[in-house]
Parts: sequence; C-alpha cells; structure tokens
Amino acid sequence: MPIHTFETMGTVASIRTRTATRPASLNRLESVFRRYDETFSLYRPASELSRIARREHELMNSTAGVRAAYAEAVEWRNLTAGDFTPHRPDGIIDLSGIVKALSMNEAATLLDRMSPEGWLLDVGGDILSSPSFDEPWHIGIVDPADRTGLLCSVLLEAPWRAVATSGTAERGEHVWRTDATGDFTQVTVVAGDIVTADVLATAILSGGRARLDAATADYAIDVITVGRAGELLTTPRLRSVLAAS
Amino acid sequence: MRKRAIAASIVSSSVVVLVGWQIGTHTQAAESSATLAIPAPTPSSRASASPSATPAPLATPAPPATSTTAPAPSPNAPATTNTFTGSVASTRYGNVQVQITVSGGKISDVTALQLTNDDSRSAQISNRAAPILRQEVLAAQSANVDSVSGATYTSDGYLKSLQSALDQAGL
Repeated sequence: MPIHTFETMGTVASIRTRTATRPASLNRLESVFRRYDETFSLYRPASELSRIARREHELMNSTAGVRAAYAEAVEWRNLTAGDFTPHRPDGIIDLSGIVKALSMNEAATLLDRMSPEGWLLDVGGDILSSPSFDEPWHIGIVDPADRTGLLCSVLLEAPWRAVATSGTAERGEHVWRTDATGDFTQVTVVAGDIVTADVLATAILSGGRARLDAATADYAIDVITVGRAGELLTTPRLRSVLAAS
Repeated sequence: MRKRAIAASIVSSSVVVLVGWQIGTHTQAAESSATLAIPAPTPSSRASASPSATPAPLATPAPPATSTTAPAPSPNAPATTNTFTGSVASTRYGNVQVQITVSGGKISDVTALQLTNDDSRSAQISNRAAPILRQEVLAAQSANVDSVSGATYTSDGYLKSLQSALDQAGL
C-alpha cells in the first residue's frame, strides 16, 4: 500500500492509499494542512490567530474560516460544559484543539477523489479513514507508560472512521484541565468523525470520569482510557472488539 | 456498577428461563447460562453506539468460552441446530429479547436481538466504560497495525522515532 509521509503542524502526517497517487495531488493535499497551520498556529507570529492574540486583529473582523472554526469550538465548549474550550486560561483564543480535525476533514474530500478505493490519514496520532474500505484497519494505540510501545490495537470498522488520542505525556499539561485530580493520563476516542473523536478525547482528559460517562451516554463513541496508576477503562463494544482481534 | 449488575442479572435470568423452557431436560445447559449471560449486554452498546442508533436486530456472537461450559454433545447425536427466541422482556433499562442457538444439544450462541434505548439513561448504562485488565488488551494487541494513534507528538526526537519509524516501515 503506497504511503506518503510529510511534516506539518509541528508533527508528522501519513497517508495510506489503496492505489498510487500523483505528486500533484499530494502537493494539493499538503497545502490544505499548510493553509490551516498558517492561519491558526500560535507558533507562527504572522498567523491570523497570533495577530488576534496580540490584539492587532479582531475576531469580529477575522476571515470566515477563522470565525467558523471558533463558532464550532464554542459549540463544543457548550456541549461539554467547558471541558473542551477554545480559550486558554489567560484568555487567548487557541483553536489548536479543533483545527487539526477540521483540516483532516477538508483533506478527506481530496482523498476521496485521489483514492476512491480507500485511504487512511494519520496526523500526529489522530486518524481518519475513508468512508468505506474493504478490510477493517488495525489501529495501534500508544502506551503512555512506554511511548515506543503499544497499549493495544483496535479494529476500525464502518461506521467508525476516526480515532483520536489525547494525553498528558507529550505536550505536558497542554489541555486546560477542569478536573483538578486528573483521572486520566491518556484518552482514546473512536467515533464516526474526526472532530467528535478529537474534541471528546480532549474533553474527557480534561473532565475526567464525569465527562467520560456523559460523553458515552450522549455520543456514538467508543473510549479507552488510561488512569494515573495505569488502570484501563473501556466501553463494552470496544471490549468485544479487543477480545476478538 | 450496581445498576449494570442488575441489568446483567435481568438478562441472565431471562436466558435461564428461556433455556429451561426450550430445552427442558438439559439442566446442565441451563446452569451454564449463568456464565453465558455475561456477554449478553455487549450488543446493546453496539445499538447505542451506532450513529444510526437503529434498534434493528443485532448479531454479536458470544465468546467461544461460553460453548466450553456447555455439556459436550454425544458423538453419535445428530448435529441439529435450532434457534430459540425469547419473548420481549421490558426492563427499566429498555426492552430485552434473547435468542439462543442450540447445536447438538449444547448452546453455541447467545444473541441479544433487541435492546432499545428509550431514554438517554439506558444508553448511558449500556455504553458506560468499565474496567478492563491490561492482560486482556495485551493479549489482543497485534504488532501488525496500519497506523498508530497517540497524543500529539511535538518533539523532534519523537518525530524521528516511533511514528516516523512506523510510517517508513509501512507498519
């Protein structure tokens, strides 16, 4: 299976396609992520979000893409009672919790055309697959206690398309925790779409057990969490998938 | 967890009744149904977790361990297979209907046919995350994976290690 790897958004992205892809298509694909990064990255002083952070630019006058991303992030903040939030404790608007997923969604429309037979996209540990595929994908989940090893692997089958993992290990406490005790060190969410998976993984890491129970009640997701002492929790369907693989 | 245990016991007892009713003399099989009932709630999570949320019939085979507890069929007995469907039982967590497959006098499969989520409460119970032993997931893990999910990697060292290595190796 052809694999294309490139660096973007301060991490590594990889694309697996069933059929060979043309370099021009791959360039177009990479440009999607580059555009999101150039607009939303707070590590780039010239980005629109950095200018908003410095108060050189107002959210009200920002581009449609920025306003749409902010609106979606605020909606998720309301849906998760603030466990996911686009605002840093210092008040700066930080959309990094949702931008990667949004860029993956946009890339998906290109990938559908590039490889109608199926594809798998991994951007820095967040995974999205084509809507349909012959064989279920085997997705490994990193062990937070041994980052070079896997905690387990799960089968990604329709209608599930997305896997996202949030953890405290790599970026430190980059999630603004509302749960002071920090129930979990790593949260993986399997969902039908990457925005839901990514946002809820972050929200559950931040909100702990209460957010986990609310999210599994309200959304069609599967979850596997790793606790402070390494203990694991998983939803029933994922348990059966784990047992079957 | 107590509610979950109650739900499991409801399913459990319905299987016992069913087996006792359908098979009659196979008392050993009826006893084994207590262990068979444990995986029965699993399909409910599939129903609630599915984006379509359809209460359509579900078919999730029980783990193979269940068949080992049932009495072994006589080598000379004809290997007839029958399925038996229980009536719909209303519980406070929704409707439950169980189907069993009996092959050669032993239970080969137990399936929850119908588990509706009339309100979000029953969905919460059926899809609630529960502890799983590390050995269970370790046993299930495979080195042969298509891709790896982990918290976002930012360090250059990490870029050059796990994910890029996996990507380049085509794992």
